[in-house]
Amino acid sequence: MKRMIAFLLAMVMMFSVAATSALGEDVAAAAEAIKQSKTYETTYNTYFSSSYSSFNYFSTAYATVREIVANCIDGLVEPDIYGVYAPSLAEDWDVNEDQTVWTFKIRQGLKWIDHNGNETEYALTAQDFVDGIRYIGDPKNDAYSLRVVRNLISGLYDYYWLLDDIDCGLVTDKNRDDVVASFDEMVGVKALDEYTVQYTLENSAPYFLSLIESSMLMLPVEYDYAMALGDDFAVDNEHMLYCGAYYVSAFERDKAITLTANPYYWDKENITLDTVEYQMIPDGTTSLEMFKRGMIDYTSVESEAYDSLQGTEYADNLLPTSHSFSTNYLWLDFDGENAEFKTFINNENFRKALLYSMDREVLAALREPVDPARILRNTINAEGAIYDSTGKDYTDYSPLKEIKETNYNNPELAREYMEKAVAELCDENGNIKGVEATTVDYLPVCSFDIDGKLPVTICYVGTDDEEEIIMAQLFKAMIEESIGADYIDFQIQAFAGWTYGTVADPLNYDIYFDSLSTGYADPSGILTRLTTDGAENVGCYNVPEYDALIEKALAAETFEERLQYFAEAEAYLCGNGFVIPFISSLRGYYMSNSIPYTSPRTLYGNEKYKGTLVMAEPLTQEEFETLKAAYEIEREKALAGE
Amino acid sequence: MGKYILKRTLNSILTVMIVFVAVFMLLRLMPLSGYFPPEMIKETDEATRMSYLRNQGLLDHPLVQLGRFIGQLFQGNLGRSLTVYPKVPIATLLAEKIPVTAAFGFASMIIGIVLGLSLGMLMVRFKDRWGDHLGTGYILMVRAIPSLIYLFFIQVWVSLWLNLDMVFYDDKPTSWILPVICLSLGSIAWYALWLRRFMVDEENKDYVKFALVKGLSKKQVWREHIFKNAIIPLVIYLPSDLLFIISGSLVIETLYVIPGTGGLLTTAIEKQDNNLVQVIVLMYAVLSVLGVFLGDLLIAAVDPRITLTEDK
Repeated sequence: MKRMIAFLLAMVMMFSVAATSALGEDVAAAAEAIKQSKTYETTYNTYFSSSYSSFNYFSTAYATVREIVANCIDGLVEPDIYGVYAPSLAEDWDVNEDQTVWTFKIRQGLKWIDHNGNETEYALTAQDFVDGIRYIGDPKNDAYSLRVVRNLISGLYDYYWLLDDIDCGLVTDKNRDDVVASFDEMVGVKALDEYTVQYTLENSAPYFLSLIESSMLMLPVEYDYAMALGDDFAVDNEHMLYCGAYYVSAFERDKAITLTANPYYWDKENITLDTVEYQMIPDGTTSLEMFKRGMIDYTSVESEAYDSLQGTEYADNLLPTSHSFSTNYLWLDFDGENAEFKTFINNENFRKALLYSMDREVLAALREPVDPARILRNTINAEGAIYDSTGKDYTDYSPLKEIKETNYNNPELAREYMEKAVAELCDENGNIKGVEATTVDYLPVCSFDIDGKLPVTICYVGTDDEEEIIMAQLFKAMIEESIGADYIDFQIQAFAGWTYGTVADPLNYDIYFDSLSTGYADPSGILTRLTTDGAENVGCYNVPEYDALIEKALAAETFEERLQYFAEAEAYLCGNGFVIPFISSLRGYYMSNSIPYTSPRTLYGNEKYKGTLVMAEPLTQEEFETLKAAYEIEREKALAGE
Repeated sequence: MGKYILKRTLNSILTVMIVFVAVFMLLRLMPLSGYFPPEMIKETDEATRMSYLRNQGLLDHPLVQLGRFIGQLFQGNLGRSLTVYPKVPIATLLAEKIPVTAAFGFASMIIGIVLGLSLGMLMVRFKDRWGDHLGTGYILMVRAIPSLIYLFFIQVWVSLWLNLDMVFYDDKPTSWILPVICLSLGSIAWYALWLRRFMVDEENKDYVKFALVKGLSKKQVWREHIFKNAIIPLVIYLPSDLLFIISGSLVIETLYVIPGTGGLLTTAIEKQDNNLVQVIVLMYAVLSVLGVFLGDLLIAAVDPRITLTEDK
């Protein structure tokens, strides 16, 4: 009998594998038929919505420049179309056992090109990668977002701060030029020969390749050229050199950018577009209209526009955006002037009451009206961003998995937690213990009176952006309804001059809304900034348990152990309501004339145009679904090594 | 007259200096965190931010910074943008942006004057009849409806009907039409409204009645007396209008993606780009003072009744 059952099971499995395989072949054939049926353009017309202030990839604080740099300056590695790291300017690489020494072999015979597409006299060598770090290591070059790279590359932290101490007169017994000259001895990046660069790291970094993908600070630079230009380096397209698939052949500030294919590119056969034309279109309505008129090949579609396109000829071209590693969260002020809120927010039950008081799907529907559930997020680090060596998603590590899967829309529980908090913090007359009536000064944002009694006054501060105001009104309705208006008085302050310096930094709020993004394949990128003394802890909470877990994670011997501690730390922070993530920053839909899944699958970096196929007409939903299904099957096979 | 010009020039220089120094010092009262976009504050520690500020000279005493800026000015160096276009020379930025805005501003100013004055005369000529009603309807529409509504309508629908571009392209003259029209709408209404009012005022004055009784033709009275006298109060604004063609319109430049100066000052203030703000404020202060000064000279030139000095 057992043999019979085993035989039947084997047959079922065989048939199902055969059926899946046959289905896979059908899908692949259908996808191929779609691709074959199209004619492709050689120019891609797209847009940017905010100004390109500079092309200096080391010192610009603005994210927009990444779009251009991703296509114009290649890094050591890049993801292939399945998201697996593949050679780029490095042909090959090697890492030691504890993943602290990474050695890359650079392609030979490459040269930097100029904005006319001509080869320059500058050869691209290992020294250019060393010089990239040399450039950012000097405080006078104003490198942006240095923290991660500066702390990771051995000796770079000390080198940077020694130069800074000399600059501000704290160190007087050393000469600046001598310290700059000692870079090669002090800092753990070396050109072992003309085409071999080696990075020595302070800690084990299994995620190092993803950092190379995400961080512009790891890109090469022709040092003599950059230093000769000084402050003029990369202020426009004519003051920089290129080594990527494209160069910026034309640049009109705040208006237009033209990328032209690099005729000397190492991977020339995979360049499918001769030209990428960017034009500035600051608002979504114009971009949508221009897409309809065939002037551009891509447009994002916000939720209001999504509704207006239903029933039109474009309804079938609306495609869902795929992912965002940025998470929206509520930031709480643990040390503000509002004594009512301060007393309550430092109480675990109150934080949990807040945690369970919101219907996150309603908030998500503001951005994703069709399937709001797909943008819900209870964790800070995004699902699908970080995997261990076995392919297990970081957010599936317990107890973070439980947080991820919890439904926090539970008004009864919220009320229950609030009642416990009130019992602990108030007397029988509703007076909050230790809180006197006073005026709270959150100027220039607002000032208001508190009476030291229930309901607890909460001052939510947001910008005057229309969507944010609606979101704030939803917060108010949900929180007051779930917890009860007898316990909560939720006040909204939409502050027109909202800046970090006027609201967040001086603690002129009780609650505000912000976002955090998983920048590379390790939770440390965000979580180490959220410790009690971390840069991101602007609300001034005190979490020694969390800090201890972060310490353990950083000292872990294996990557899996590291992820486990990080997962416990993140679960602690989110589960106890110190930070309240609720949705991803993903924004609705888009329409496009390009075939998806033909260019590198960049997770942490920006889109690359290499391999992009652009049609004359918009992609339909059906075509998109077929291409996606075929891609998923292919990717699964590729990841399995078939 | 020469003495008057000298006195006014000195007064003007003093006014510009007071405005400039006040703005310069007020900018230094802004919080240091304002020099960084929020994402940069979150990405960097306090020490790194202070290092950046020190390298930019922003931690020096304000008077030292003022002295440095004035020193640079005398060397013809306007400095570099701090936060809006990091490290881009401000002279380069202005050289790129001012010609674009000025071209649009000049075209719309000419259209505004020609059409506005024509409409104003039409309204007076056909007072209380169709011409007046037409003009009043236009002025009411432009002034009463929020401009964003009709500007947006023109950009989206008129461009579709006339098969014109929705945004400006410097190499396609047809794409310049809609932004120029949009820029002119307000000034056409302004000139028409005020010319009508001043002409109606003049028409009812005794000297006009006298001239008509004396036997001058209505056309002659209109051209040589009413129009000439009615235009005088408008002339005073012409120099300022002409000089401020470089200031641009935030809304229209944004709608048509014109890479001009509209909104540059607002953005610079918002992003606390001190270097850019102080140069633009200095520029606008000079233009304002100059505009008023030239307006005074012009009105004295066109109206013999007005003298700028006490004649003895």
